Amino acid sequence: MTGEGTTLQKLVAEVLRRINDADRDGASRLVDQWAAVHGYGDAIAEILEPVLRTVGDRWEREAISLAQGFVAGKVAEDILNKALAAAPKGVFGEVKGPVVIGNIEDDYHSLGRGMVGTFLRAAGWAVIDMGNDVSPAEFVDRAVETGARVIGVSAMMFVTARGIRGVRDELDRRGLSGRIMLAVGGAVFKVRPELVAEVGGDGTAGSAMDAPVLFKSLWERSLDAGGEQ
Amino acid sequence: MTAAERVMAVFTGEKPDRPPFALTLSLYGARLINAPLASYYADPALYAQGQVRVAELVSPDIIFAPFALALEAEAYGAELRYHPDGPPMVRRHPFRAPRDAASLSPPAIDTCPGLAYLCESVRRLADHFCGSVPLAGVLTAPVDLPAMLMGLDGWLETLLFEPALAETVLAAATEHFAAMAGALAAAGAACIAIPLMLANPTLVTPEVISRSIVPPLAQAFARTPIPIILHHGGNPAMPFLPLVKDLPNVAGFVIGPGDSFAAARSIVGEEKLILGNLNGPVLNRLTPEQAGARAAAILADRRDDPHFVLASSSADVPLDTPLETLLAVRAAVEGHGGGR
Repeated sequence: MTGEGTTLQKLVAEVLRRINDADRDGASRLVDQWAAVHGYGDAIAEILEPVLRTVGDRWEREAISLAQGFVAGKVAEDILNKALAAAPKGVFGEVKGPVVIGNIEDDYHSLGRGMVGTFLRAAGWAVIDMGNDVSPAEFVDRAVETGARVIGVSAMMFVTARGIRGVRDELDRRGLSGRIMLAVGGAVFKVRPELVAEVGGDGTAGSAMDAPVLFKSLWERSLDAGGEQ
Repeated sequence: MTAAERVMAVFTGEKPDRPPFALTLSLYGARLINAPLASYYADPALYAQGQVRVAELVSPDIIFAPFALALEAEAYGAELRYHPDGPPMVRRHPFRAPRDAASLSPPAIDTCPGLAYLCESVRRLADHFCGSVPLAGVLTAPVDLPAMLMGLDGWLETLLFEPALAETVLAAATEHFAAMAGALAAAGAACIAIPLMLANPTLVTPEVISRSIVPPLAQAFARTPIPIILHHGGNPAMPFLPLVKDLPNVAGFVIGPGDSFAAARSIVGEEKLILGNLNGPVLNRLTPEQAGARAAAILADRRDDPHFVLASSSADVPLDTPLETLLAVRAAVEGHGGGR
């Protein structure tokens, strides 16, 4: 283990500790200090990514609270915003996407969707966030217009989750299923996993932290299916 | 024994003629009288009619006031959405940003149709039952009301990063809670059931709960003239019970369908009521036989617990639950008459 490796491990551990304590500013400051010497690209790859991976693992094991996941998302958002402001265009490599996300019609629970957007952006995706109460046609229109190959639709409650079926129907009606993939998520899908198939979802993620892996696999499935939009 | 005597017996640790049971059938009353939900959640006479029918057909030992927390948010300007098969929900939060809530002040109950409806529903039920059945008012916890006013993300951001603003908002929410609890008690509620969300370590860290959640809850609950039953709010109860078990005026706890009665009892001690843990929202998917068997298994498990009420956990029993399923639960309870 090199000296710098040990320092990095300690730094990652300290950032995680501050996130656990809901110390958003303290966690961001530590990453900023590293970035001041090594640059934000390095800080994101060497600190933020392992931090978010660990947060995701802990979330999966139900070892952290929603608030701690929320703080991790806020820290990631703070770092990304500073990195983007500081860096010349293209310095972080090719941007993936775009992908479209939003809450389905009549659903106004934006916390989970906001976190999904943050973690997708942290993973390098260009995210088009359509907000709450989005109709199936609006989702599909926007995906077609922007060339998005994944639509991520969120709902918290059973009564609103059923509306996601309308996005699948709209994709089918326009002959876009397979070319545009449908990711679904929200609290109700954790309680009722069978709902993913019922609403015609192509996949789901257990948490916002897992969304980048899901979107990557769905994007690849879309490419494998071939066809231009 | 009347329902009130039965519930009082388990409250004091006396032996009732049979274990009491309570199902959250506030929504279900609309089905029994074939009322459109938008009217049912606006007209106290209609709501009372629905609950009287619940009492006639199912005979639970506790009758609930409207489980329609969004009406409290409406009093502050929230726009509601009425679903065809559920209670109203908040469609648009009244505050776009947390800072907008800095001047929050509780509205007068009489001037807000939704708040007046909640109180008047209880008053009408009290007039009808004349004390024979305990009435449970239902209120939003003061620490959860801000989430309905600014969104959960806005409230988390405030709670975690703006403690001074959080304190101001909580002070106003506490006033609202105390006023509503007093009004429900005056209308005839015997207790107040409160789904508790942000006091749970699965949502917020224990440190934040101890620092920012428990103190305002203690202040609010101390001002409540009737006992409080804390409800698990859809999350596991075990993580939050140690943090809230000693709050003032808390007489009991509704645990979740996945929680253990024995574990809950070991945390809250021997004297408090424990209620649950039939999974209310999935009762529509059980046959009457399955529901009866589930109820019987819980009753057998709690046979020696003098402070236990068989109840539905989680949210309201769905509208499409067959009446036979509910009657099977009642039959299971009646089968345990004198069984303790």
